[in-house]
Amino acid sequence: MLGNGVRQNITGYLVVLSGLFMLADLYLIFVVAPTDAVLGHVQRVFYFHVPIAIMSFLAFFLVFLASIAYVVRRDGKWDRLAHSCAEVGVVFVTVALLTGIIWGRPLWNTWWTWEPRLTTTLILWLIYVSYLMIRSYASNQQQAARYSAVVGIVGFVDVPIVYYSVVWWRSIHPSPVVGPFAQANALEPIMLWILLFSMVTFLILFTYLVVERTALRNSEDRLLGIRLVARRAGR
Amino acid sequence: MEPDWPDWTEVEIEAEPENQSHRTRFLILAAVVSLALGYMIYAAFPGNALYFLTVGELINKTDVHDGRTLRVSGKLVADSFQREGRTTVSHFQLRDENGESAGEYLSATFVGVLPDLFFNPHSEVILEGSYGEDQIFQTDAILVKCPSKYQSLQEETLLSS
Repeated sequence: MLGNGVRQNITGYLVVLSGLFMLADLYLIFVVAPTDAVLGHVQRVFYFHVPIAIMSFLAFFLVFLASIAYVVRRDGKWDRLAHSCAEVGVVFVTVALLTGIIWGRPLWNTWWTWEPRLTTTLILWLIYVSYLMIRSYASNQQQAARYSAVVGIVGFVDVPIVYYSVVWWRSIHPSPVVGPFAQANALEPIMLWILLFSMVTFLILFTYLVVERTALRNSEDRLLGIRLVARRAGR
Repeated sequence: MEPDWPDWTEVEIEAEPENQSHRTRFLILAAVVSLALGYMIYAAFPGNALYFLTVGELINKTDVHDGRTLRVSGKLVADSFQREGRTTVSHFQLRDENGESAGEYLSATFVGVLPDLFFNPHSEVILEGSYGEDQIFQTDAILVKCPSKYQSLQEETLLSS
């Protein structure tokens, strides 16, 4: 893995970069972005809600890949990556649910309704919360890594279901505005650019959080190693 | 990681011998849980458990006209909205935007405060309630389905002027 000095440099840059991007993003969302003709100012939640939800998909995709790599290679570094991505992913999907709840109230006239997109997203949240719970219930690190890898691989099934839920089933949730199922001209060009900028912003933030959390896991594992050496020496 | 420290894979808080039956049990449990989840996702939506019916489906599916709770989605018929005096009792009609059933109208009644976007011509209205022999949809709650299309205020004024 990377040396400590290099890693600190990278996280330093990432913190500054995500801070600058976040400020620019807030300016774009609240000052530059046009007010929506039908939905009004509350439509600005969109620029947070969509990128954050997509970053949670990315997080769980990385959990999926890292879990496979761990099962094949049995190398602790893949488990550290999977664990970090899962934690950050749970934070992102929680925020996606909360921002959805916030603008669901003025737009749909309800905080929550049991419709496909919302229900499958809640299941997604539960899967990755259980991923973290399984880790903490395991009796040792290897067991935690093995069991959670299974959840990380199987649980990913729900991510495409969440994405396609609005295409497959009748839903109150709007269909995708970006990607293969997006309607033509679903967004005005300026709105699309701000959405893309917001995605880059949250991608940088996501990268920073994962790098930082992985480093923390490294430290935790090292500490565990020191304890083990100390215990063996004490015997 | 630095070679000075023991390899991560050696680290165990409590050394526990690998138990084969324990592992099998876990795999079975994992398979059962994922199958159950998959079945729940599958069973929750298609067929009889659609999130909402269209106006045409509701009118033609006479077997659901028994007072059970339903959701129906349609466009508000322009000019059909009426309020009873100075009360919150309102009557209106919905219809399907297109398709064969676009000519069929569903009369509905609702008591309460209407959502902000109820009269917005771009959105569809989803009613929760029941439909009985009186042929009037008794609405318990109103949801508004917004179009997945966003447009700025300036742009729309430009287009309409």
